[in-house]
Order: sequence, then structure tokens, then C-alpha cells
Amino acid sequence: MFYTAESIEHLAEQFAQLPGIGRKTAHRLALYVLKLSRDEVVAFAKALVDVKDKVRYCSICSNITETDPCGICSNPKREQTSICVVEEPNDVLAIEKTHEFKGLYHVLGGALSPLDGVGPEDLRVKELLQRMSDSVEEVILAMNPNVEGEATTLYLSKLLKPLTVKVTRIARGLPVGSDLEFADEATLSRALEGRITL
Amino acid sequence: MKFREVRLQTFRNHEATEIGCALGRNVFFGNNGEGKTNILEAISYLCLTKSFYASSDATAVQFGQSGFTVSAIAVSDIDVSYKIDVSYSRDAKEKKIAVNNGVIEDKSSIIGMFPVVVLSPENANVTSGTPADRRRFIDVVISQSNKSYLQDLIEYRRILRQRNRVLFESKAGQRTSQDLLEPWNENLIKRGSQISQRRAQFVQEFSPYLVDAYIRIAGRGEEPSIGYDSSIKTDNSLTIEQAQTFFRRELEQQRVEEQKLGTTLVGPHKDELVFEINGLSLKTFASQGQHKTFLVALKVAEFFYLREQCQETPVLLLDDVFSELDGPRSEKLLALTANLGQTFITATDEQRFSTASKQRNDFARYFVRKGKVTFAKAEVLTN
Ligand SMILES: Nc1ncnc2c1ncn2[C@@H]1O[C@H](COP(=O)(O)OP(=O)(O)OP(=O)(O)O)[C@@H](O)[C@H]1O
Ligand SMILES: [Mg+2]
Ligand SMILES: [Zn+2]
Repeated sequence: MFYTAESIEHLAEQFAQLPGIGRKTAHRLALYVLKLSRDEVVAFAKALVDVKDKVRYCSICSNITETDPCGICSNPKREQTSICVVEEPNDVLAIEKTHEFKGLYHVLGGALSPLDGVGPEDLRVKELLQRMSDSVEEVILAMNPNVEGEATTLYLSKLLKPLTVKVTRIARGLPVGSDLEFADEATLSRALEGRITL
Repeated sequence: MKFREVRLQTFRNHEATEIGCALGRNVFFGNNGEGKTNILEAISYLCLTKSFYASSDATAVQFGQSGFTVSAIAVSDIDVSYKIDVSYSRDAKEKKIAVNNGVIEDKSSIIGMFPVVVLSPENANVTSGTPADRRRFIDVVISQSNKSYLQDLIEYRRILRQRNRVLFESKAGQRTSQDLLEPWNENLIKRGSQISQRRAQFVQEFSPYLVDAYIRIAGRGEEPSIGYDSSIKTDNSLTIEQAQTFFRRELEQQRVEEQKLGTTLVGPHKDELVFEINGLSLKTFASQGQHKTFLVALKVAEFFYLREQCQETPVLLLDDVFSELDGPRSEKLLALTANLGQTFITATDEQRFSTASKQRNDFARYFVRKGKVTFAKAEVLTN
């Protein structure tokens, strides 16, 4: 780049940090921001800061929320007897779209991956165990269908087994290597119906 | 299957190359470094989604360019046409593969659709190199003929790396590991047993092809054999459950040793493929000539094996083999290629090639110079 200002470069660098954005696209976005009116840019910046300031993690299920506890945890109509364990908030969204599951969630915040330095203490495993009261009858493990998700499923099922709770996992009917987030709704409903007891 | 046309765009030293492709044998002549091997490498991208030798996608991008594209029209044995496009963008670090303009999400799923057999100077390692070189050889063959094998292999490698990290950290005294190891064991055993069983089965199926190919090249007199030495002591006669039990038991026995060394000591990543001639280890006893004969026989056997398993004739890529093989062997191989479907051959020395081919002219000839290909002579179908 010969003709550029330092602040454009700086903004482009920020965009380039986002997933799926290469250097070229980052530059295009930065130049696009330059064309916006000042008000539009301020609104954009505020939206970014708001996300950080207002959104927090639910103190019960760790899903993202603006109210604590979240809408699902505080909804008395949800079945309090089953908890579906997922890796990320996106997965809650994907399962909610199927309208198949009426219980509660628990968001782990990832999956076991020693290569990425993620061990059990980096996930909300302790918090999950603390939720295992008498009212919980079933825990459904819905990790992503990849090797890390599988290992996490095995790890959790071993921890949960001594407790008097039924542990199931969603059937692995999902396309291999895909994330739960990308599975279409039909596949996910089928997976939820055909869950296997561990 | 056969390629009807192949195009390379900003791929290595080929700015924009278009090859019409004869349905039989295509020979590329040119001096060293003119871009002959690059053409075979591009074809390898179409069949295997990657280079046939260990080389990253980024290095195949022409200097100063942002990506490359390799495209082709392929026609299957039952005359169905496919348009294949493989493109790589260095900026997005992304490789896209499209068949008939539909992007293939799971790239590994096209492996085996357009089977390929490659014989290049790097292949010398298969007979003379390390066990890993031999495992790579069978992995590429089985992956092309068996869909779930490649998936198992990909998952196994990932599990292995994760598990090795746990062991490594426990060796370094950072964590105590049994609880952390256990979640990885189950699928290491499952995927690993599947791989070992499939390899054992492959070795058995492949043997007659090898014996047959060896006779075609060296005549009778020497008896080649291929054996499988599995670290979980499995063989083809076991059920998958038995193999898993063996694996679990070996793993249990190596537990202390694994903790001490900080790495996984049991599994298909420790397997060895054993080649022999007349009952003598190829690695230890064979002459250079025997090594070469064995290698060519392996490749010819691979061709017939894949043709049978995939129900599709592979394309054959022969890189620089005529400077590697001696006169009689290269003559044999060239004579064989007359009946092996579509072949792409590179050669530096046209004179030598003509001698080896016994002056036959049923070859489409091309000249490669500075990444540009000129068509020299059409294939004459004399036979
Ligand atoms: N990314 C790249 N961009 C441009 N040129 C490249 C790139 N990678 C390799 N080359 C060039 O390609 C040439 C090598 O091509 P190739 O390996 O096909 O040669 P060859 O004709 O097979 O030669 P030989 O007979 O020695 O095997 C070299 O000149 C090298 O500089
Ligand atoms: Mg070459
Ligand atoms: Zn909640």
C-alpha cells in the first residue's frame, strides 16, 4: 500500500483480527467506514461497546444474556428436570430453533483440547456439577461431533455417572467434522429425538 | 477416468497453461526446471486435493500472485463428465474445490472419485526409507479406495496429537494425567483398531496384485511379498472387537512407559509394512535394482488394485522415471503404459525416451519451456 493513512491501516488491522476476514477485505471495510457519516460511525462504535458492556454470562447456565438469570433459566415453563450441555452460546441458538427441547441449558465454554491448552478447569464443569440437584433427572450431552467434542462427552459422562441422573448424548447423525452450529434444523431435531443413554 | 483438458492458472511457473490431453499417453519434454513436474503436481491437486509430495498449498502459488486455480474436465469410465476446479487463495488461506460448479464442503469426500497413481523420484523412500514412508504409501492407496478410512485417519491423527500433549505435560510434571488421558483413549482405540484392521485386510487383498505386477516387470524367478507388522498385534483374522481388546491391553501394558516417555507408544502410527523378495527383507538385503523393480511393481499393482476397488481406471503420473530407471526397466514400464489408461509422463531426454519407447509414436508429445507448454505431436493410435 503506497497511499494510505496510518489510521486506515490501524482500522484495517482491527478488522483483520475478525474470523474469516483477510487483509484485502479488511482494507475494503476500513475504506467503507471512511465513507459513512460521522453519526453512522458513532452508532457503529457504540454498538460494539454496548455488546461488551451490556451482555454478560448467565450466572446459572453461562449463556450470553442481558438479564441475569437469562430468559431460559428464569422461565418457569421450561422443564427443570433436564439440562442440555453444549459448547458455545451459538449451540443454544441452534437447538432452540428446532423447538424440540423444552429443558434448560448449560454452556461449557468450549471443549477439552490439550493442544489449545484447554483442560477441565478452563470449562464450566464445576458449575455443571453444582447444578446436579434432586430435581435434575436427565443430562443431555450435545457436544460438537468432532474428536474434542467426543472426548468432552466421555469426560463428562464419567463424572456424572456416579450421580443419580440419566446421562444421554445426542445421536451422532450429524455430518462428520461439522459444527453443531451449522447443522440444519431437521438433522438436529432427529439427533435430539434419537439420543442414546450413556 | 480420463482428463479431457487441464488448465493451470498462476500455478508455480505456469502463468496460464492449457493442455488438451490425449486419452492415452501424454509426454512432457523439457530441460530441468522448465515446469514439467509442476504439471503433474497440478493434476495431483485435482485427484488428491493436494500436491503428491509434501509441499504446502502456499508454495504452489506463482511468485507475486495471490492464488492459483487448477481446472479440468474429467470423463469417468462410464462416460460421465465432471468439471473440477481447485483454487487456493493465499490471502484467505483457503482452498476451494468445486465439482460441476458445486463447492465441496468436505474436501476429503472427493478423494477416490478421480483415482491417481504417482511414480516420482520421491517414491524411492517407499522401499528404502522409514516406516512412515511406507505407511504414507498404503494410506494414500486405501484412502482412495475406502471412504471411511481417510475419515478415521484424520480423526485418529487429531486424537493422537491431543493425547500426546496430555502425556507430554504429565511428563513435564505440569498435571497428573490419568483422568485427562482417559477421554482420549476410547476413540484412540476405536479409530486405531479400525485403521489397523483395514490395513491388514488391504495387505492381504493387495498381495496377489503385487505378485502379478512383479512378474510383468521382472519375469518369473523372484517372489515378492508384502506383510503387515501391527503394533497392536492384530491381523486380518480378528474381529474388530478383538482388535480393540488387543489395543486396550497393549495400551494398558505400556502405561508406565508412556508416562515416562511422554508419548503414545501403541497404535497404527507405529505400524510397519514389510517388503520381502524370496523371503528376504528388501530393506536389509536387496540390491538397488531390486529396490527399483519392487517400487515399480508396487505402483503397477496399485494401479490395478485401485481400478478394481474404485471401479474406475486411475490416471498414472510418471515423473522423471526414465532417468531413475535403467534401460530394460524403463522399456518394460513404457510398454506396460500402453494398456494402463491415461498416463502423464515427464522426461528431459527425448532421445532416451524414444529409445526406451522403441520409437513407438502413440504418444502425444508436448514441450515445456519456462512454464509454457506447446503441443508438438498428436498421439497416433496404431494399436
Ligand atoms: N511458486 C512458484 N512460482 C513460480 N515459479 C515457481 C514456483 N515454484 C517453483 N517454481 C519454478 O518452477 C520450476 C521447477 O519446475 P518443475 O519442478 O516442474 O521442473 P521440471 O521441468 O520438472 O524440472 P526437472 O527436469 O529438473 O525435474 C523452477 O524453475 C522453479 O523456480
Ligand atoms: Mg521434475
Ligand atoms: Zn441461564
